[in-house]
Amino acid sequence: MLDTTGDAFRLLFTGDSELWGIVAVSLRVALTALAVAAPLAVAAGYGLAVGRFPGRRALIVTLQAMLSFPTVVVGLVLYLMLSRRGPLGAWQLLFTPEAMIIGQIVIALPVLAAFTVAAVQGADPRIRDTALSLGATRARAACALLYETRFAIFAAACQGFGRVISEVGCALMVGGNIAGSTRTITTAIALETSKGDFAQGIALGFVLLALAFGVNIAFALLQGRGGEP
Amino acid sequence: MTGPLLAVRGLSKRFGDGVTLLDNASLEIAEGACWIITGDNGAGKSTLLRALAGLEPAVAEAASFAGRAFELAEYPDRVRRDVVYVHQHPYLFQRSVAANIGYGLARRGVRGDERAQRIAAAIAWAGLDRVRDVPPARLSGGEKQRVALARAWAVSPRLLLLDEPTANLDATARAQVLALLRELAMAGRTVVVACHDRELIDLPHAEQWHLADGRLARRR
Repeated sequence: MLDTTGDAFRLLFTGDSELWGIVAVSLRVALTALAVAAPLAVAAGYGLAVGRFPGRRALIVTLQAMLSFPTVVVGLVLYLMLSRRGPLGAWQLLFTPEAMIIGQIVIALPVLAAFTVAAVQGADPRIRDTALSLGATRARAACALLYETRFAIFAAACQGFGRVISEVGCALMVGGNIAGSTRTITTAIALETSKGDFAQGIALGFVLLALAFGVNIAFALLQGRGGEP
Repeated sequence: MTGPLLAVRGLSKRFGDGVTLLDNASLEIAEGACWIITGDNGAGKSTLLRALAGLEPAVAEAASFAGRAFELAEYPDRVRRDVVYVHQHPYLFQRSVAANIGYGLARRGVRGDERAQRIAAAIAWAGLDRVRDVPPARLSGGEKQRVALARAWAVSPRLLLLDEPTANLDATARAQVLALLRELAMAGRTVVVACHDRELIDLPHAEQWHLADGRLARRR
């Protein structure tokens, strides 16, 4: 066990190109998915939180239920859609990083939107009133509210990042775990462990933990700089 | 301009649980007038002011601002730009005092030197030089109220609606806020102040009104 952990550290600190290539793929896929999902989810979450329309409550409940949606099911549905005979088969995206990005967008959207709904609903109602009363349009008042709740929104983004960087089911199904192309931290850990090569699995596990801690530490630092709400 | 600045007839506000806060209330506020509206807790003073500011859904038989009719329920931007409501416990954005005061100016397209000058003038008017760059979390209740007044003053609204501006302030802070309100009244600004009976505010040339049972009546 100690020897394997030592090997894992050696892989980490000698700049093993295969290991860091896997990390790069994971980050590229997760951050791209997050960049696409975040604006959509924040807009949808805000609309659900402040809007008054029939079916709104049912939509919020559905969104919350989707938080526990198994990623492997997302992968299965996406696989069926992207496979050659599927409705999106002509796009030829199966087993590509793009397919993984689409899957992670689908996984991140409900997380980000549900947390945005909670953040906006929990925000001080005077924020929107103050902005409107000072001459802001509704869109501007929405921007003011989102700015004032930016730490909660950023926390939502952290949650979304945590969910997509650590998911394995969807990435494995629509990515195919192809070395140098669609192999991510989580799919590589699963593969290396099944092969009995624990050193790379442990090294990648450390990277995954470091990413999770890093995001949360960055969030805490940013919150500290922002002062009390 | 002839006629009132703001006229509302048959203003009503009923909640889903059957509670009626405003019952066919009517008012006509002349340009340059100063109104003090008193009433008990829960009489509907805040609701009335919020409805007049377009922040609270309410229905009215008729409403006009500066001689032009408008639908209170659909509160148009042209009215919103001229009416500013200041909350009893004002919310200050998480930015400096100067940036807070600049918010309404930015929304009106005031940029550059002109914005800086108007912010500086508002800060000087409210005596906030010492806390100009201080974040709101470090301000006292009285300072927050003065920042909110300066923020409203900076955009030169035609109608200023102030909801219990001296509530929960200590004697010193109350005196400072009252001094600013007197300046507003003396300068001929159109101001409506809601306050509790026991915190009755006396302003020059003020008309005293009382809100009870959903209706407004002039005090003798």
